[in-house]
Amino acid sequence: MRYRRIEGEAVVLRQSAAEVLVLNEVGASVLDLADGEQTVGAWIEALIGEYDADPAALAREVLEFAGELREAGLLETLAGTTAVEPPP
Amino acid sequence: MSFGSGFLRFPDLFPGRRSGEPWGDRAVALDVAGGPYLFSGLSPLQEEAVRHRFAGLCRDGGDAAAPVVPVTSRVFRAPASDFLEIDVRGWEYTLDMEHGPGSMRLAGLRLMARLDWTPALAGGLWTSEAAGEEWTSVFENWFRVLAAYRLLEESGVVLHSAGVTDGTSAWLLLGPSGAGKSTSSRLCLERGATVLSDDLNAVFLDAGGGARLARLPFTGDLAGLPGGPAAYPLKAVLRLAQGTEDRLRPLTPAAALASLVAAAPFVNRDPWRREALLAPLERLARSVPAWELTFSLGGGIWDILRTLNA
Repeated sequence: MRYRRIEGEAVVLRQSAAEVLVLNEVGASVLDLADGEQTVGAWIEALIGEYDADPAALAREVLEFAGELREAGLLETLAGTTAVEPPP
Repeated sequence: MSFGSGFLRFPDLFPGRRSGEPWGDRAVALDVAGGPYLFSGLSPLQEEAVRHRFAGLCRDGGDAAAPVVPVTSRVFRAPASDFLEIDVRGWEYTLDMEHGPGSMRLAGLRLMARLDWTPALAGGLWTSEAAGEEWTSVFENWFRVLAAYRLLEESGVVLHSAGVTDGTSAWLLLGPSGAGKSTSSRLCLERGATVLSDDLNAVFLDAGGGARLARLPFTGDLAGLPGGPAAYPLKAVLRLAQGTEDRLRPLTPAAALASLVAAAPFVNRDPWRREALLAPLERLARSVPAWELTFSLGGGIWDILRTLNA
């Protein structure tokens, strides 16, 4: 997916849907991490280390956001991966 | 729906190259941002219509190719039977475009056109319209697309916008149809501003930072005034939003970039020119302040814009 990082946020151009999306810093970080190699669990660990936030709350936000991106067609689940549950 | 099927009776017979029977042997060169633009193959009536519509921007034929190499576009005949009859009442007209790495195809009301990068940009237009308002409409629709693509090659972008100036600086008001470009332009005009256009404007990025707003001869409800400098330093980008009071809200560079991309007609749908579009717009979003603006009908908008003359 093509996107532009600009001062912490990300701009995603979805030409097929004639849409332009702006993602906040956390969303932009998720796009940076969604390289097809790392699991969602790895994203959460990386973001917990980067942001001074409650780990459980951050994990829920990331999973929810990943779901939204998938519904929007911006992310897809790779074969062989499993769903990640947020930490208790 | 496949390309062209909404406008063309035989979309599979779309011209594969810029050839055909020209309407005539006349030509017009227009001095418009990114140009000059040389249109050849016109009939006398078509030439007359273009010269009338774009009065003040026509170069003499002898100057057309010197010293700057013009962007060329040739006009060819197409039989009326090539085009579908369409009831346009209550219909929003959107050109049909198909993009490729080395070319772009366009279909619309009584028009077919193509742009080729061979390697210089060159265009071809096929139409059944011989003269009059119908011909002028076809020509202008094509010219708008041609200018949008041409400006990308000149570190510029065509934007759906209103452009206003106080004679020294300029402000860009972004918004789709119905956002208030014409209304805001009229309010500024009543308070002493000059309106460059209330529909399409060109922005050029300067090598040393900053940007310039240049007039284009494509207007909406307000006809732009001829004359004046070719371009003005751009002081701010304003994204128009619905509202009843005068209010400014700063936009992040990312939000500004998204608004600019959304406002770049024709080329923002072209995946092969995506980076060519994003590069200048990102520079613009990073270098010129951007705001979201709602405005009342009391006319305070012009005073607000002038406070942004940083």
